[in-house]
Amino acid sequence: MFLLYDYNIFWAFLIISSLIPILAFLISGILAPISKGPEKLSSYESGIEPMGDAWLQFRIRYYMFALVFVVFDVETVFLYPWAIGFDILGISVFIEALIFVLILIVGSVYAWRKGALEWS
Amino acid sequence: MDLPEQLHDFLLVFLGSCLVLGSLGVVFFTNPIFSAFSLGLVLVCISLFYILSNSHFVAAAQLLIYVGAINILILFAVMFMNGSEYHQDFHLFTVGGGITLMICTSIFVSLITTIPDTSWYGLIWSFPCCWVHRGTALSSLWSRSYVCSSFWFRVFVSKKFPFQFGKNYKFLLVIMLTCVLKMHVS
Repeated sequence: MFLLYDYNIFWAFLIISSLIPILAFLISGILAPISKGPEKLSSYESGIEPMGDAWLQFRIRYYMFALVFVVFDVETVFLYPWAIGFDILGISVFIEALIFVLILIVGSVYAWRKGALEWS
Repeated sequence: MDLPEQLHDFLLVFLGSCLVLGSLGVVFFTNPIFSAFSLGLVLVCISLFYILSNSHFVAAAQLLIYVGAINILILFAVMFMNGSEYHQDFHLFTVGGGITLMICTSIFVSLITTIPDTSWYGLIWSFPCCWVHRGTALSSLWSRSYVCSSFWFRVFVSKKFPFQFGKNYKFLLVIMLTCVLKMHVS
């Protein structure tokens, strides 16, 4: 608000989004009844007895999705300046950006058919 | 950036020390997850440096790509590692470490002696990409985007500029005005 007034909306968003959970905890801390018991301190597993270990093995599909995400994130960052100047750049630049996106779609189709995006 | 002078300097020093501490943490933590998280801190500090230098798009791109994608990738790779492999083979001074230390300190010393002494103005406007940008339709895109203007803003407004621009600012003002006029005419 006082410094970096270009970021006014951002500071307002940050302040409001940090106030909401603080308010939620405060109100529930004031209004909720307190009852202690041994079951309150056990770990929660949808109402049943906890079974198995808490630490699971990391699965490779998370890494495959993060890898594909890196590629398309960099592509998105390249498309942002093109989107800003879209109305003054001509049709040739539009075709070039389309070719760029098409090349990356070819890569995406390759990754899809190779099974990098399988969830099961 | 239109911050007061002292606040700008304080933020520079604070972010710089945060950066150095974070990079020390990347190297020296034995737990690799701590190491990966302090790499994330280093990348966020670099992004804040970009905001201080009035390059908001690069700061956002840095946050998106480096912190949001590359650091996540590194974290996922770290999560594959087993917990029992952490505390083996921790030697403080190795031969390779000593050689790297000497090379890095020599590069650092040469950088801090040459950067304040070169005049960057002649170098930047002699790049061919800037010749293209002076005369094409893309140059109006540049005048619409804030990159060039933020560069010149930083040249004229920040008083503690480490390069040699501040002495010839009238000359630079004339050149900047002619470039801007050329951009708007073409």
